[in-house]
Amino acid sequence: MMNRKGMRPSGRRLIPFFFILFLILFAPARPVYAQTAAYVDGLVERARGMSLANDPYWHTLLHFRQGLAGFHSLVEDPNFFLSPAGKLDPAAEMDATLRAFFQPSEDEAQHPVCRFVARFTWLKERLAIDASKLPVPECRRFNDIVKEIQPETVSLIFPAAHINSPASMFGHTLLTVDTVHKSRLLAYAINYTAVTTETFGPLFAVKGLFGFYPGYFSMMPYYQKLQEYSDIEQRDIWEYRLNFTRDEITRLLMHAYEMDHIYADYYFFDENCSYILFFLLDAARPTLRLTEQCRPWVIPLDTIRVAQQNGLVVGTAYRPSRATRIRHIASLLSQEDRLTARSLALGEAPPERVLGLDATAQQKILMTDLAGEYLQYRYARRDFTNDAFNERFLKILGTRSRLGAAEKDDYDHPSPTRPDEGHQSNRFSIGTGIRENDSFAEMTLRPAYHSLMDNDRGYVEGSQIIFTGLGFRYYFESERLKLQNVDLIDIISISPRDDFFKPVSWKVRTGLGQKLGEDGAEHLVYDLSTGAGFAWKIPMLGLFYVFGEAEADLGGRSEERWAVGAGGSAGMIRTLGDQMKVHLSGRDIYYGLGDCHNALELSFQANFAYKTNGSVSAGVTWKKAYSIHDTEGIISWNLYF
Amino acid sequence: MKKVVALVVLAAFMVFAGTAIAATLNQKNTGCGLGSLIFADQNGLASQTFAVTTNGTFGNGTFGITSGTSNCDRPANFSSNQKLQDFVADNMDNVARDIARGNGEYLNTLAVLAAVPEGKRADFYSRLQANFSSIYTSDKVTHVDVLTNIETLVTYL
Repeated sequence: MMNRKGMRPSGRRLIPFFFILFLILFAPARPVYAQTAAYVDGLVERARGMSLANDPYWHTLLHFRQGLAGFHSLVEDPNFFLSPAGKLDPAAEMDATLRAFFQPSEDEAQHPVCRFVARFTWLKERLAIDASKLPVPECRRFNDIVKEIQPETVSLIFPAAHINSPASMFGHTLLTVDTVHKSRLLAYAINYTAVTTETFGPLFAVKGLFGFYPGYFSMMPYYQKLQEYSDIEQRDIWEYRLNFTRDEITRLLMHAYEMDHIYADYYFFDENCSYILFFLLDAARPTLRLTEQCRPWVIPLDTIRVAQQNGLVVGTAYRPSRATRIRHIASLLSQEDRLTARSLALGEAPPERVLGLDATAQQKILMTDLAGEYLQYRYARRDFTNDAFNERFLKILGTRSRLGAAEKDDYDHPSPTRPDEGHQSNRFSIGTGIRENDSFAEMTLRPAYHSLMDNDRGYVEGSQIIFTGLGFRYYFESERLKLQNVDLIDIISISPRDDFFKPVSWKVRTGLGQKLGEDGAEHLVYDLSTGAGFAWKIPMLGLFYVFGEAEADLGGRSEERWAVGAGGSAGMIRTLGDQMKVHLSGRDIYYGLGDCHNALELSFQANFAYKTNGSVSAGVTWKKAYSIHDTEGIISWNLYF
Repeated sequence: MKKVVALVVLAAFMVFAGTAIAATLNQKNTGCGLGSLIFADQNGLASQTFAVTTNGTFGNGTFGITSGTSNCDRPANFSSNQKLQDFVADNMDNVARDIARGNGEYLNTLAVLAAVPEGKRADFYSRLQANFSSIYTSDKVTHVDVLTNIETLVTYL
């Protein structure tokens, strides 16, 4: 930085000299070229004088971020920069860009004026560039595209978490540009994703964390995204309409156009879909600077909140997934009618039979609609061949078409609490309790995202997603400070089974925690555990689950300092009203390898959310390991931020 | 006993990775008829990625509208309406469902793209519903057949 600043004045002093020399040498022979060269030099000079390279908007367009070592762009693709030093030097890139606008044109669409239409438009305005001096005075291809799209509004789209899929757990965000066509399905979806053919889950996750995949923008009809999210992945979608004007949307599209076929390394947790999308919004409205408001750890849902805090959101809409629609239609029917619908979808009964049933027209409509949706759902899961699906689907729809119009135009889906209205994703807790005869104070911090006992408003019921968590305890009697737990990953997905859906519940956890040892004291042990099981919703009682589990432990003070075991767990979660939740659970693991022992744990937990971002929780746990008992009780205050 | 425990543990840890792999093995089946899912090779695990080859944001002449219709026949009468063709071809199942119901977002979009006048929409919807079986004449029906059959039913297209 210092070096460059030092260089400038001498360079500046030399320019008039070269300028005059240039005129003398070339003016008579090639007047136009010389005039242009002089004009460009003048522009470069003026841009320097105005410090345009330090303008935040220039940094937005080039994805510059300021670090300890100066500026660097998050974009890796060399095609994104016109100066070889462009990735690290906003000023050098500015000079090179201005000069590139005046280079002769071979292919108009590939000329820098067109390739970097957002940069061009901004610089043209700031420097009042005379278009008549440019080989390519405007980007006609881009203008044609805007005419074709006829953009009206922009929405931020949030497909909510799909709990059974680890990579989607935090949700995802994309943008849609709505056209004058009055159908949301025809909107253009702008999406930023990592591009990979990696299909092996664990490798995919690790590589994604460390930026091994290139991220690209893509654009496609919104209906394609809906097919992916609503029809295949069964994720409910929330749409947030933003208050961008038509001019702002044009600027957004300009920047998207610049980013076409340009890659940046994709990092799941910071430089991800949600963060990079913000560059488009910042490009649309220069005063926004959303990218600067992001935390280092970007959860898609948090970016929705950032958009809201900046007053961008002017309307919301809910788009239920097919699975949600199936559950809703099923809830309008009796158990008998539900099973009839199911048998039609599975091909166990001919659809025409519905017509002869002793039921109201509306009931028959509900049954065939349910059968059709459920068949489509099962087909998306590849449970039937294409031929079997087509034949059965047309029969069901043929029957449906004979039943006429429904009483109501479309199903009135009750819209649940919006995800952004739920508790925030960071949690800080402070608590006090007693373990055997020693009282303690506890402090825990959990940056992401939702635990089983947290209030479910805006989240998936029966889900827990914890990435990193840290807890300390201070025991008053023994005057000892103890590291209570370091959670790396702790995910639980308890999804209930019913007549239509048969999901497998699962859990996986790894981290450090205090475990009861042979000597009767607690020791810090590294653990890795996983389990799979089933869950059901039992009327009046709540969500009941059973898991088969396995666990491997390392550390502690026992003989072998490691143990591997298997066992199971079961529990019941009951929500009482909007604010209260209780959880009764038991877990038993028999460790047959390493330090052989049995560990049994019974626990009762309760949580009361007195407001969206605050709750009080209490718990009692009884443990038995190596024939040693241990009981503790704790009460905590949880703050979400 | 130890071997049994070891096996159980191993099996349990494999469940996690196993389901992830299994999900990716269900592949293919895109085309122009019913039961075509654009994202058939998309698995839930890879939802942040887009393994399908893309044409970038501003891919080719038709700007982003890249669909399965490039390999399909074109109906004679709708040949000028590329968006309508793409829409019906890409959404065969949901369009069929909405026609059978006589309402819905996909049917509405079909009417928008076919430029059915606002005042004739209700008639358009009920007429398509009543003639469902003459639009979807067999389970091998393609989007070309569907559009051609619709056109013979409705004079104001």
